[in-house]
Amino acid sequence: MSQRSETLNVNLWGFVSPVAVLCIWETAGALGWINPILLPRPSQIVLSLIELVTDGVLFGPLLRTIALFIVGYSLASLIGIAIGVAMATNRILYGLLEPLVECLRPVPKSALVPVLFLFLGIGKVTMITIVVLAAVFPILISTFQGVKSLDPVLLETGRTFQVSRLRAIVSIILPASLPMILAGMRTALGLGLVLVILAEMLAGEDGIGFRILDLQRSFQIRDMFAWIFVLVALGGGLMMLFGFVEQRLVPWRGKT
Amino acid sequence: MRRILLSMGGLLVALLAFSHAVAPAAELQKVRVSIIPINDVAPLFVAIHNGYFKDVGIEIDTTPTTGGATGIPGLVGGSFDISYGNVVSALLASQQGLNVRVIAQVTKRYDRKTDTTPIIVRADSGIKSGKDLEGKSLAVNTRNNVIWLYARAWVKATGGDPEKVTFKEVPFPQMEDALLQKRIDAAFLVAPFSIVALKKPELTTVAYPYSDLQMGVNVGQWITTTKVMADKPEVIKKFVAGWRKGVEWYNENRTNPVLYSIITGYSKTDASVLKTVALEKAPLKCDLPQIKTTMDLMIENKLLTKPLDLSKIIDPLAL
Amino acid sequence: MSSVSTLDDVRRGKADVNPIAGRPGPRLYGFLLIAVLLLFWEISSRLGWVVSSYWPPVTNILRAAVEQLAGGDLLNALLATLGRAAIGYVIGSAVGVCLGILLGKSRFLRLALLPLIEIVRPIPTPAVIPPLILFLGVDDALKIFIISLASFFPVFTNTISGVAAIDDTLIQTARTFRAGWVRTLVQVVLPATLPAIAAGLRTATSLAFVVAVLSEMIAGSSGMGYYLVQMQYALRPDLMYAAVLYLAIIGYCLNRAFVALETRCLPWMGKT
Repeated sequence: MSQRSETLNVNLWGFVSPVAVLCIWETAGALGWINPILLPRPSQIVLSLIELVTDGVLFGPLLRTIALFIVGYSLASLIGIAIGVAMATNRILYGLLEPLVECLRPVPKSALVPVLFLFLGIGKVTMITIVVLAAVFPILISTFQGVKSLDPVLLETGRTFQVSRLRAIVSIILPASLPMILAGMRTALGLGLVLVILAEMLAGEDGIGFRILDLQRSFQIRDMFAWIFVLVALGGGLMMLFGFVEQRLVPWRGKT
Repeated sequence: MRRILLSMGGLLVALLAFSHAVAPAAELQKVRVSIIPINDVAPLFVAIHNGYFKDVGIEIDTTPTTGGATGIPGLVGGSFDISYGNVVSALLASQQGLNVRVIAQVTKRYDRKTDTTPIIVRADSGIKSGKDLEGKSLAVNTRNNVIWLYARAWVKATGGDPEKVTFKEVPFPQMEDALLQKRIDAAFLVAPFSIVALKKPELTTVAYPYSDLQMGVNVGQWITTTKVMADKPEVIKKFVAGWRKGVEWYNENRTNPVLYSIITGYSKTDASVLKTVALEKAPLKCDLPQIKTTMDLMIENKLLTKPLDLSKIIDPLAL
Repeated sequence: MSSVSTLDDVRRGKADVNPIAGRPGPRLYGFLLIAVLLLFWEISSRLGWVVSSYWPPVTNILRAAVEQLAGGDLLNALLATLGRAAIGYVIGSAVGVCLGILLGKSRFLRLALLPLIEIVRPIPTPAVIPPLILFLGVDDALKIFIISLASFFPVFTNTISGVAAIDDTLIQTARTFRAGWVRTLVQVVLPATLPAIAAGLRTATSLAFVVAVLSEMIAGSSGMGYYLVQMQYALRPDLMYAAVLYLAIIGYCLNRAFVALETRCLPWMGKT
């Protein structure tokens, strides 16, 4: 009970600094310190935002973006954790996959667009692939690192009990490396969302990223920022959700 | 005595004249220009190469960019003095209150024979008009720009409803593949991509929207801001003068190998590709009536909410 | 992913190699895998299974890549990108570690700053480049800022998570020994968090590189990103892929260097 109210307090207080920044922004705009066309005042952005809702334009693109995110992120997590654990526990797999992973990682996905367009077309499959190709790496690396840094005693204990490989992974390794895996998934959350937007800009037919690009092209910066606010709210919401889930899964993390 | 005085006077005059001639050249004033490395801006590089700008005391610092994302924002933000932009973007920026000014024309359609911006389809697709494209997809490099606008106008002019056509954004280099792979049904290309694509027997041209709809259309321009014009009016005038000289040389020398090497220098396109197309004539002036037609088209396609006062946007320098 | 089926192929094909004795190193298999994939590429291109100017034979790409070694534009572009990426990486990581530790230990700071950080995180670079150009111009300042921001997040996230995961007993022990907070920081917190920080730094290494190239693609006039787009527009896909090849190789080497560094400095991390 007290833990929940504590969480609530934390959430409320958490709004102080963003609100402070917004106030500073608004004042700077009102005083004419910034070009109002390229960086509109928050009050005007909020007005655009309200228009978006009342015109009913908000929900279609928002849902599309969320859907793409869920698909891409889930796939990235599954693949990242699976490969990360596999590479950390099996030397041959590590040797086999490590060069491929490390060669693919530094290549920006935008550079691979010609190849993706060539083989996968200009649609949903390409978009999901772009998201997965980017989001999988932080998860993979953190998982790998997490498993590798495990106390060898844990693994020895498992062996003493003659636990099978699979059971060892599921009941010993995964729970023990969960904090690191979750850290990687947290990074991938933000990264994944950015890439969803990028993918929509490159090959989408609608969605938040698509709208942002369109509005940018016609210099409707105010409306563009309204969509960015929506995006930030989405990102914030996803992060909070992640935080709740994390707290449930790893409640034993040291408290300061 | 008189002879000595005369010769001394003559010497003095000669010295004065001489000192004027060898007076240290004033520091060249730098002008930052944002360009897209395409054929259209060749006259600028011709002018730089031939020294037209140096002669009037300015030095052009070109910054290439491949997209529209940096041109006008960089201009408004003060990173550039002048930027290459298309007419639609300039009007859109004006609508939003960004004080841009057009100072010179860069691209203009003169002749269908030199038009290298066709809409291309697969030869076996049977698409011949905008009506045939309903329910299908047309690729443009960017939505809401001049290419998108004229693609829509063409669809409408040939009996189709632009709202029923899906406009996909595809980068120029990927359009040919997308067509061949049946990912898109039609594509609006520019040189040199159109030239390369049309070499394939599977692809064919269905229209030249600019030439078919509005011969003489003003497509690309040099844009600056009211602030730059207020701060550096002389520099802008000199730029336009130097540019026009470049245009004149360019028009006279369109098959000159020197020109090809200049273009290769900034665009990295191989001269062999450049030789296969007849370079289009470059314009010296803006055509207000043409721009007005484009503006009306923008209003019709819901890019502009109401007509803009073109006299406030197109500077007299450009006319 | 296709690598799964190739894994079996490799196992079957290499059955004659004794997996225990005389093994040159497991990573060799990985390079063999890459070689096999590249061979596929070459064959599919030469035999016309895939016809596209964007699927040139691998040998063309290699030829172009080697030609560039003699001092072509590619190398200059690479240096420009590496320079920017390095600066942005250092700035972003440094700030990430500092803030990660500070916010990990101080609840007040967490409340004050974490919301701001989380808000900035999902904002996509391409969307905010026009307003950013207003403040930072179109040159290196803009790109370095974006790179720093990108490097910051993984380092920060991993650091703060690592700090939170420190076994409380360690802190208590330090307190028992009456160690001042500076000593606790340096001798307890930092070493314990190092694996987490390392993971973050490792992610950030390639991320900085990727974002550097991305920012150059959108707003650049020099560097690998610009070069990639320029080569597409100049109808030289072989040079474009050559650039991608260099990126992959450099990225791989950077990563290996990092891992080597990690093994030297953090020898207690578990080995398989």
